Amino acid sequence: MMQENYLWDGSGTPDPEIQRLETLLADFRGSETALVLPAELPAAPSKFRGVFVNPLSLPRLAVAAAILLVFGVTLFFTMQPKTVPETGPAWEVANIQGEPQIGTKAIAADQAPSKLHVGQMISTNGDSRASLSQADLGEIRIEPNSRVRLLQTDPNRKRIQLDVGTIHAAIWAPPGTFVVDTPSAVAIDLGCAYTLQVAPDGSGSIRTTLGWVGFHLNGRDSFIPAGAMCSTRRELGPGVPYFEEATPAFREGIAKFDSNPQDSSARSAALAMMLSEARAQDALSLWHLLSRTTGAERAQVYARFAALVPPPRGVTRAGILNLDQSMLDLWWNSLGLGDISVWRFWEQSASPQPSANSQQLPQKKQSLLKQQP
Amino acid sequence: MAALSEIRSSHAGPAAVNACNDTGGPDDSLVRAAQSGDRAAFGLLYARYSRMVHGILLARVPFSDVDDLVQDVFLQALPRLASLREVSRFPGWLASIARNRATDFHRRAKPNDEFDEESVAAQSELVAPSTRHSSHSSAEAHAVLDAIRSLPDAYREPLVLRLVEGMTGPEIAARTGLTHGSVRVNLHRGMLQLREILGRNASPPAGGAL
Repeated sequence: MMQENYLWDGSGTPDPEIQRLETLLADFRGSETALVLPAELPAAPSKFRGVFVNPLSLPRLAVAAAILLVFGVTLFFTMQPKTVPETGPAWEVANIQGEPQIGTKAIAADQAPSKLHVGQMISTNGDSRASLSQADLGEIRIEPNSRVRLLQTDPNRKRIQLDVGTIHAAIWAPPGTFVVDTPSAVAIDLGCAYTLQVAPDGSGSIRTTLGWVGFHLNGRDSFIPAGAMCSTRRELGPGVPYFEEATPAFREGIAKFDSNPQDSSARSAALAMMLSEARAQDALSLWHLLSRTTGAERAQVYARFAALVPPPRGVTRAGILNLDQSMLDLWWNSLGLGDISVWRFWEQSASPQPSANSQQLPQKKQSLLKQQP
Repeated sequence: MAALSEIRSSHAGPAAVNACNDTGGPDDSLVRAAQSGDRAAFGLLYARYSRMVHGILLARVPFSDVDDLVQDVFLQALPRLASLREVSRFPGWLASIARNRATDFHRRAKPNDEFDEESVAAQSELVAPSTRHSSHSSAEAHAVLDAIRSLPDAYREPLVLRLVEGMTGPEIAARTGLTHGSVRVNLHRGMLQLREILGRNASPPAGGAL
């Protein structure tokens, strides 16, 4: 007998027949590919907003969404408070499917949206999903088998912790406002639309669907525009980003390159694979490889990159091989993937600090989060 | 030689929607903002409604064509958005564009192109390989999707949105502009018909798939 409620909104006793169909049909689900709009929109005045905008340097329809992830040897902690006061500012939590929980309290499908207060955790099992939202932030969809804790919320800083699982975020808050902690990273300044995943071992990946995203660790930057992905590894940080449409061999080369930082022969073989497979569309990845290779390998990357996408005026081979930042930036901007001056502005800014009046976790827990290189 | 135009045309770059720094809010305000040219707002509408559009198209056109048509729908909607007088009707309006796009697709396609054996076999090859499914499951998945597509419009669309796209009934109602009652009835009736079809198609030696 079909379980009516389960078919309607996933609540109640799961219907095994319907569950089986859902599993069977899952591969047909939409993959949230990036929307590519024409450069010129009908009657669309530039509405770019944000404190980091330099109107002199940005093209009229330039896009900038900065995500800054600082990777390091963070002490990942799990906090299971016995009681968390349900007072103060809160985010709205809605049940999308099944019975997500706030602490040990289930959120039923037919009840009004619940509130998530600072310190509280929302978790989903294999059959449940939820959404988090706040008026001046955006929306975060929490997928099955995920755990998210609210760490801080105030007008200038909103922070969550993704222990494990997957979130899809569409953020309209100004960059520098929203922060996500993961087992291998602290995220600051999140914007636009993306999917962030964290595996149980602390590794992760991000996939951008709108705008672009930046990762940072000890001077290593990775920029991920819409349609691209980037993996992260605990203690290694962000890998080489790539467009999803890159060839399987190219992506395989990136995976091997990133996962063998100490094995020079494996890295060389992986690099050779990438360079042989690279197309002009892979300029994103080749640009990043310049700063992740040295000596003869960097020269090889430059040669392949320049053959596919000649450097613009003002960029020289010698400058690139010396990793001249201004030349690297010029070449990046010529790719049309986003104006890097936005990123440089944020790089030069001090990391935003929690405000004194913010609603946030006790000092002891905050200090654990600050232990990063 | 350089293929910068190819890079720029094939990826977001400066043409990407600026989805940052908007105040956001309920869909009505997003639609109004998008109508006045706010690319960020339109980007958020895309994020919210792309699943619905994908499901509506998947209920009607070959799987291999759905992603491209999703893009087409939104590119068609954008210049026409200003003509939408009642912003609260945006969900239903967008759903109509998606259905019309599917109709256009078939109008331009060859006769009997969609569900003949050859195209179904081609679709099977284009389904992204999954570590969760064997080839048998993939064939079964296609058979189930075909069965859903054979249902009347009123039933197949909510079923695809529910079973494939993972949207709940309330979400389907909110995104398509239909009432909860309509969606609930159509889900229920559609599921009954689907069970009947799948029960008829089940092979006797397997004891019935469902």
